[in-house]
Amino acid sequence: MIVKTIALLGHKDHGKSTLIGSMLMQTGSATQVRINEAKAYSEKLRKPFEPAFILDSFSEEREQGMTYDTTRAQIKYKDLAFSFIDVPGHEELIKNMISGASYGEVAVLLVSAKGDEGIRDQTKRHLFIARMLGIDRLVVAVNKMDSMGYEEGSFNSIRDSLGKFISRIGFEERDVRFVPISAYNGENLVKKSGKMAWYGGSTLIDSIYGIFADASGAGSGSALRIVVQGAIDSEGNIIAGKVISGRLTEGDKVDILPNGHNAKVKEIIVKGRRVNSAGIGENAAITLDSKAGFGLRGAVISGIDDRPRVVDSVTARIFVTGVIGKKLHVKFNGIDMGCRSVDVIDGIDTTTGEKMQRKTPEVLNAIDARVEFDRKLPVEEYRATKELGRFVLYSDDVFAGICTITKV
Amino acid sequence: MIKQDLNVLEERSIYVIREAKMKFKNIAALWSMGKDSTTMLALARKAFLGKVPFPVIHIDNSIDFPETYKFRQDLAKEWNLDLIVAQSEIKPDLVGSACCGKNKPETLKKVMEEHGFDALIVSIRRDEHGIRAKERYMSPRDEEFRWNYKDQPAELWDDYSSKMDKKGHIRVHPLLDWNEIDIWSYVKQENIPVNPLYFSRNGHRYRSLGCTHCTVPLRSEAKTVDDIINELETTTGEERSGRSMDKEREYVMQRLRSLGYM
Repeated sequence: MIVKTIALLGHKDHGKSTLIGSMLMQTGSATQVRINEAKAYSEKLRKPFEPAFILDSFSEEREQGMTYDTTRAQIKYKDLAFSFIDVPGHEELIKNMISGASYGEVAVLLVSAKGDEGIRDQTKRHLFIARMLGIDRLVVAVNKMDSMGYEEGSFNSIRDSLGKFISRIGFEERDVRFVPISAYNGENLVKKSGKMAWYGGSTLIDSIYGIFADASGAGSGSALRIVVQGAIDSEGNIIAGKVISGRLTEGDKVDILPNGHNAKVKEIIVKGRRVNSAGIGENAAITLDSKAGFGLRGAVISGIDDRPRVVDSVTARIFVTGVIGKKLHVKFNGIDMGCRSVDVIDGIDTTTGEKMQRKTPEVLNAIDARVEFDRKLPVEEYRATKELGRFVLYSDDVFAGICTITKV
Repeated sequence: MIKQDLNVLEERSIYVIREAKMKFKNIAALWSMGKDSTTMLALARKAFLGKVPFPVIHIDNSIDFPETYKFRQDLAKEWNLDLIVAQSEIKPDLVGSACCGKNKPETLKKVMEEHGFDALIVSIRRDEHGIRAKERYMSPRDEEFRWNYKDQPAELWDDYSSKMDKKGHIRVHPLLDWNEIDIWSYVKQENIPVNPLYFSRNGHRYRSLGCTHCTVPLRSEAKTVDDIINELETTTGEERSGRSMDKEREYVMQRLRSLGYM
């Protein structure tokens, strides 16, 4: 069965874990043992039953009523399986949110319709991060409709004001759906709610299903790109590499970058079997007709006519997660290397999507910056080849930002 | 239970196993002779052209089942494994989770120190337990083997943690994405040898294998791999329901894992 991954987004306490817990129960996807365990613990804390406890397994998460770290839960629906990635909503836990959301193909954003909750900075920040990570399809679940008497007005006002921000940061209208729900009461999740007759659209699960079914399936490009993990044998004759795009065929002439070594492909092995060619997603063991030399880890294999550029500086968008100090390094496809400088071009407010007056990196906001590495690397723009267009920035060994290359 | 695409699972595991081998200087794997760690070894053989390229450690408390010892001996020979048997001592005053929480990690600490291993492959899966579902593919442990679950490193874009204390190590979890039924489907597809205790005898089989003191068999008529797959498609029970230590008190798994349990 094909498993589709869905990242949950949204401000803390707007109902992400509760939603997944309720969906697990309504679809019969959680075992009775786990449901009973969650029920027993709710009673122990003298709380009404909390479906979020099916996911929130740490004692601290339950006692404080908040998710600390990301986890996943699976639901089978029609011919697909969904893997829901739960993430913490608290802004101090943004690194855990990014770790989870980075695995999402699409996103479900939770916004509480409840009077004093509504659209918050963290709601918009999560959307901004999702867009940066390359998520382009979205279901917005307007939650806690029960607290607003299931009235159409509260749903419409969230849809209208959030819709503007969503298109400003680059989502297409046709790729975004809004669904009114009550995660705790299970309204409009799997079965159509009788309490919101004014809503003519699909349930939440059907909206998620639809967003996968309608996907144009743009997919990866046809240019050959293989990211090298290293040598398999001690002599360095057999190379382990993952095919990112294109296809590698026996007899192909290839380039190994950044060194620019030329070679011919003698043999390809995938999952222990000799094959004629290897395609996208496959981890190959590749024998070349000449030694590729040192420094293989993080190298890129490409065709000789269509190579990525080899440079030591790029323009990148950086979502800032920590103070950017003096001692910088970046991690880029297995290479851990020094970073000479990060020069800010523009500051971006992640809650509006607009440029700021201040041109300094601020935690939880973004910057567009010129980044200089301590060596030359094969790179591409993130929108062309994700794997060659992204890196993680560390400052004094602390996670300081996620970066996507906007211009080479 | 959801059956996932084996190709996708296989590719991710091969990637993670290769990444671990190439990232760290001196890596080893835990092998309990159970279905999961044996499947992991089958994947490692695929990743490294037929040979498991790291030592495998069995924490042996001398009270595993006779079938398990026989299985260890046979497969170690057939797959030419570099097997390290780390003998642990059963202390009569420690029972259940206290035993698992102390004995095995203590012995593991000793063997890791002796060999200077900086990373350890452990074949846990998310669907086994809510606490295991909170793990990363690669996760640091400190010198005392503690898991700082309140402050796990970021993990995204195939960038896995390599940060560790001077004397700590990294736990590597290549099977995190697999479900129990996927393991059995893969055992079938690849014809991977498994411990005979998993199959029904006299109406009972072991679904999860620990040592003789703390593991009980479940009612089952599943005598073949196909029978097990069919059973899992309809079962509503939990995989580790035969493991007594999971049930003692709340959060026993959280405490065990934070103390270095595998």
